[in-house]
Amino acid sequence: MKLFARQTCALVKLSFIELWRRNDIFALVLLGLALMVPLSMATPFGADGASRYLDEMALLLVWGFSLFIALGAGQRLFPPEFESRTIYPLLAKPISRGRLLVGKYIGAVAASWSALAFFYVLFVASVLVRGGGFPSEMPQAIVLHFAFVALAVAVSLLGSLIVTASANLSLSAIVLVGMFFFGRRLPEYAEGLNPALSWVVKTIYAIAPHAEFFDMRQRLVHGWGAVDGGVFVVVLAYAVVYIAILLSLASFALGRKRL
Amino acid sequence: MNAVGRVLVTLCGIALVWCLVGFCSRDVERMPQVVKGEGALAVAFGDARETISQACVHKADSYFHGGIDMECDHLGGHHHDDNCKDGFHEHDHDEDHDHDGAEHDFFDPWRWINSHVRAPDVHRHLGGGEAVEMMPWFWASVKADPHNIEAWTTTWYIANNMIKDKGLALRVVAEGLEKNPDDPELLICRGRTIYDNGRGEFAAAREAFSAAVASAGRMLQRVGSSDEHILQIRDFAQAYLDEMAKRGARQ
Repeated sequence: MKLFARQTCALVKLSFIELWRRNDIFALVLLGLALMVPLSMATPFGADGASRYLDEMALLLVWGFSLFIALGAGQRLFPPEFESRTIYPLLAKPISRGRLLVGKYIGAVAASWSALAFFYVLFVASVLVRGGGFPSEMPQAIVLHFAFVALAVAVSLLGSLIVTASANLSLSAIVLVGMFFFGRRLPEYAEGLNPALSWVVKTIYAIAPHAEFFDMRQRLVHGWGAVDGGVFVVVLAYAVVYIAILLSLASFALGRKRL
Repeated sequence: MNAVGRVLVTLCGIALVWCLVGFCSRDVERMPQVVKGEGALAVAFGDARETISQACVHKADSYFHGGIDMECDHLGGHHHDDNCKDGFHEHDHDEDHDHDGAEHDFFDPWRWINSHVRAPDVHRHLGGGEAVEMMPWFWASVKADPHNIEAWTTTWYIANNMIKDKGLALRVVAEGLEKNPDDPELLICRGRTIYDNGRGEFAAAREAFSAAVASAGRMLQRVGSSDEHILQIRDFAQAYLDEMAKRGARQ
């Protein structure tokens, strides 16, 4: 157990260093500032006092950036090791493929979470600077967003072991963004289709990762209040179960991979 | 590749660029100029601006409902004087506010989660000063499509009747008239703000309503006298003029 913890810590540290050394986060922050600063200066028709649109745009950027980082972090876990053949010395150590997978996954999630925490610090600071208060829904929203990032890393990790990098990033982004925006409407879309297509859409609805469950942006922006505790736990349980399934599939794919 | 080959490739490249420039410049002159409006936005998006403009109005509608996407037309096709109350419009909402689709026979856990995470417990409308939160979306809407009269008049309505800022309302109408000169609906909006239910300036309001009647008349001549919408606008402006005439007679 102690050995596992030490190995995992080493892998987490590696993921951290890799993510923060790449400067992706700083580039994203600069991009966010370039978008948000002009928006914050706008006074439509000379009317002051509107702030919700700023919160909404800022949160949308935080979600987009976090997805970008999570997918990248998941994708970079194994393929570079295969290409540079550094997977051999890694596996030559007394570490199993499953442990390597879990350790690397935890590292990527921790690194992505650190980036997300940084984005949320900036978001809360911007709200406070504009004279707003700390929303009561914020802790729940952050926890659910963290769960979403963990899910996105798992999706990307599984994809990276099955398809090429570009295909994985495109497919993962399409699935997660598609479900984020249209996931809850899939049953409605299915109603108007022919039976075969309807069945396909309903299957997607049943098994695709429901990214929209973790989206509390509207609650934050419009002050709806926190989600009921039971529902909150169910959503977290959904994330845990889904991630466990994805990691099991990834472990299976890694185990069958010819190195 | 030897020196001769490089020279040949360079010459071919120059010839190709020459042909392309000549061909394109000739065709640019022949091409019909179909892009409406002015500015980079018009050139980049063309007719898609109308859709973007409507999407912004839709977003403003969801803001009015406290962030709920109502998926029904509350702001579009508005009739300010039919159902307006303190809020935007007087309308009935279902008790449970089920906007997640049709009823299902079986228990759908995903739908259950969505209905709890993505729907507020209490339905609230923006009112009073809070209505200013909608202004950025209307601003974006009319920037995307400056000829979206409905967006202009709804923006005016929010400024005039909800925020109750006459200066803001007049600024909105002035900007709208700049983009849509002599539009009768915007002229009526200006007249109503100035008239202020009989508390404002009569002469300036009469001028605005008369201009609206005249503009609607010209439109009727152009598009045909049976256009219901324009007829209604003209009658509406005329009704204000009649009311002002009655008040003037009484005074």
